Amino acid sequence: MGKDSKNRTTMTTLERQFAQTVAEHKSTIYTVCYMFSQDADEVNDLFQEVLVNLWKGFESFEHRSDIKTWIYRVALNTCISLDRKKKRRSAEVRLTMDINLFEDRDEDTRQVDMLHKRISRLQPFDRAIVLLWLENLSYEEIGQIVGISTKNVSVRLYRIREQLKQMSND
Amino acid sequence: MNDMELENMRQQLGTLKKKLNEQEIVNDHLMRRSMRNEVNTITRRYYIIMAIGLFMIPYGYWCFVKLCGLSLFFWIVTSIFMLVCAGATYYTNHKISDPNLMNHNLVEARKKVASAKKFEANWLFFGIPAVILWMSWFLYETYQLHGGTFSNGLFWGSCIGGIIGAICGLSIHFKTQHQYQDIIDQIEDLTKGE
Repeated sequence: MGKDSKNRTTMTTLERQFAQTVAEHKSTIYTVCYMFSQDADEVNDLFQEVLVNLWKGFESFEHRSDIKTWIYRVALNTCISLDRKKKRRSAEVRLTMDINLFEDRDEDTRQVDMLHKRISRLQPFDRAIVLLWLENLSYEEIGQIVGISTKNVSVRLYRIREQLKQMSND
Repeated sequence: MNDMELENMRQQLGTLKKKLNEQEIVNDHLMRRSMRNEVNTITRRYYIIMAIGLFMIPYGYWCFVKLCGLSLFFWIVTSIFMLVCAGATYYTNHKISDPNLMNHNLVEARKKVASAKKFEANWLFFGIPAVILWMSWFLYETYQLHGGTFSNGLFWGSCIGGIIGAICGLSIHFKTQHQYQDIIDQIEDLTKGE
């Protein structure tokens, strides 16, 4: 009973640490999900899926890399792979945010929507890169998160900028 | 794409982050699940305590009356004490054992948990004197049984057993109190601002 009880106490502490980490990085997670979604339901599904995947890896995450880098990696991998599979699933623990960026009509949301429309036209992988680039991450950090070389990041970013430029001209 | 457009996109991303930072995550389910785990741990511990208490009645007859030759009256009083302990544990357990406790009104759940915590804390005021009395009676009976002398083995065995029992009992008590407080704190976190 002692060991079981100890494990349960550890679980609780871990759950609290996780809730705190999610609370600290919620805007990063939600931003990634938003950029890969087309409606409010999808953004909530993705948010949920990312949290489940973060939770699965949270215990084994040993702070070898920066937690924000790790969160980005998990969030982007989840969003990109889910985008490819177009798969949705319900999860046991339902967490979300009480916000609807697809329906709100204030000026800030209009600005955010412009960014969303622009980024949505890019391929999922390019969306990930441009998002990290807009977050002012270095090419090296972007490469680490998406799993490509720094040079490759630079080449892709050049193409993405060209694409965005083309979009502006359209 | 010029620098101004890039700056514009960064500003739009900043606006999005600002909006999101103002939002709270609805993490109620995660907290509730965590609390339910703690309640389940306490409940399981209570079932084991009740089982040990009830088992002590037949075991006590064999051990105290048959093996050590103590009086039948001593065994009866010990059995009543065990029944009272099991009953008190059942009563405390009953307060928190509702499987839907954490799905209901959290203010109500907090009241139940706080009441269980208080009852268990007050139990020590009865439990500790009762155990001291029981132990003294046990030693007196063994003293009488050996013609006014203490049997070395039985005396030291009882003392060591008593100390180990006291340490285990108090450790379980404080652990349970700590877990109760944990649950209460979590409920207060959740109901803050309601």
